[in-house]
Amino acid sequence: MDLISPKQRLLDALAGRPVDRPPVICPGGMMNAAVVEVMAGRKHALPAAHHKAELMSGLAADVCRETGFENFGLPFCLTVEAEALGSGIDYGTLKCEPKIKAEPFASVDQFEFMPKKAIEKNYRARAVVESLGALRKSEPDVPAIGGLTGPLSAAASLVDPMAFLKELRKKKDVAHRVLDYVTGQLIDYASALVEGGVDVICIADPTATGEILGPKIFAEYAVVYLNRIIDAIHAQNVPVIVHICGNVRAIRKELARLGGDALSVDSMVNLKALKYALPGLTTMGNLSTYILEFGDEGKVIRASNGLLMQNIDILAPACGLSTSTPLANIRAFTSAVREGLATA
Amino acid sequence: MAKIECLHYEAEAPVSPGGQDYPRALDLPPDAGRMGLEGKESLFQAMAKAVVDMDEDSSARLSEEAVRRRYDAFEAIDQGLTKGMEQAGRLFEEEEYFVPELLLCADAMDAGVEVLKPHIKKVDEEAKCRIVLGVISGDTHDIGKNLVKLMLNSAGFEVIDLGRDVDPEIFIDRAQEAGARIIMISSLMTTTMEGMLDVVKILKKRGLRDQFKVAVGGGPVSQAFADRIGADAYSPNANHAVRLAARLSVELAGDGTGELAGNL
Repeated sequence: MDLISPKQRLLDALAGRPVDRPPVICPGGMMNAAVVEVMAGRKHALPAAHHKAELMSGLAADVCRETGFENFGLPFCLTVEAEALGSGIDYGTLKCEPKIKAEPFASVDQFEFMPKKAIEKNYRARAVVESLGALRKSEPDVPAIGGLTGPLSAAASLVDPMAFLKELRKKKDVAHRVLDYVTGQLIDYASALVEGGVDVICIADPTATGEILGPKIFAEYAVVYLNRIIDAIHAQNVPVIVHICGNVRAIRKELARLGGDALSVDSMVNLKALKYALPGLTTMGNLSTYILEFGDEGKVIRASNGLLMQNIDILAPACGLSTSTPLANIRAFTSAVREGLATA
Repeated sequence: MAKIECLHYEAEAPVSPGGQDYPRALDLPPDAGRMGLEGKESLFQAMAKAVVDMDEDSSARLSEEAVRRRYDAFEAIDQGLTKGMEQAGRLFEEEEYFVPELLLCADAMDAGVEVLKPHIKKVDEEAKCRIVLGVISGDTHDIGKNLVKLMLNSAGFEVIDLGRDVDPEIFIDRAQEAGARIIMISSLMTTTMEGMLDVVKILKKRGLRDQFKVAVGGGPVSQAFADRIGADAYSPNANHAVRLAARLSVELAGDGTGELAGNL
């Protein structure tokens, strides 16, 4: 029997305080665990649960109960902010997550700016805020994590990504103006999440990878705008997890300047080595979603134990889970972490 | 060529008021000889450098110069612009260049190709295999796919781009229609990778598996995954995809049905 609540354990881990064992979470947003096995034949299912607060909170509770992940995580996609700021969304199906149908702007030059606090006016954003608040009230011991799309990913969901990536080099002034605006909107939305009641915010910025941007552009844009959001959330006393996709070899130095409370990375990153390279870093990750989907329980347990032995601070899947990931494998992961202490 | 340089030219180039170097020199084509661009080789090298330097204007102007001198347009693309793109691809693999740089190099290459294309007399080169390329259904992330396309194009492959969010059947139907024998599938999301398996399955079901080479790539995709779904090849990046396409072309040519592509 655990002596401390999952929420306290996560908050302790994020604050760098000693914990009895690492928490095992799936933060929501891009990395959510709404797999088909959790939803099939049930009332709370996607794609309907992308739209309505009751279904959303119901599904988050189902996911938490069925998978063993020690948190509530919302939303179930990375499109809420982009939709609110003008993108057309295809909401996907039970098996397939939502995606941007078309970016509204062909270039940063054509960008149209909306008034402040535009995101929280979107009904899905409101549903996320409402659901997280309700979940937190009903189960105060379980941390409620609000997912936030990172600034570069949000911008690249609004401006055609190929043009956008070039314009980060070619039209720096306008690119910065767009990112400044998107960042402001994300900060407003993060504040709405905090006011609604979240314990932690997790920013995922899959466009802001070292592999795509390289160290210079990562430093000039990703570090600057991510830190601005992190600082604004910290000012409201809420901890922040940042997830960076892909290989981080090219951007290790830049990562040291990110101000989040924990850094979550992809499975190809050796977290032990990263911890060594960046002392004091609170690490999160990074169980291969490939193993989770295609491995068997034994393989999942071995991989989980490997992460436990590396003293990773917070255990989580390394990336977005496939919706066809077997529940048994996810349970094997969460159980291995829970039981890790007893066998160690 | 290890590194593209125009040392001779740079040493002699007059300092222009705008601080620009060789593009400025081309405002004076009659003096090109004095600029060190007198030979075909040095002009082609400068074209390659313009591509590596992401300099659209220079690429276009140097290409105009190639046209003015009545150099073979195909050769100018092949020995000038394409060499630059190859170098850009290498810099990308070596993590000197990243996606924005590679895209800008491609724009510079395109600017030159635009100029030269109307002057291409005939393509002597043996036809390389036609390729259909797309992002699997459910996935709209096409940065990687677009990089693969531009690298393949610049290497002279004919690429039929199916775009993003493409159903498995469509890959096969379109490949058959176009007489393409290589199917390249990209995916960024773990959630959509299974669609790649469906392509292989459908090929088998239709009795077409031997007719096509299937190559896969994208963020979460690995050699292990390619092996598991029975794909013929995996590419970790866009530059590697070119070598892969070349290899698969050779394999196809070697299986005795290499003519098929041309006959369909």
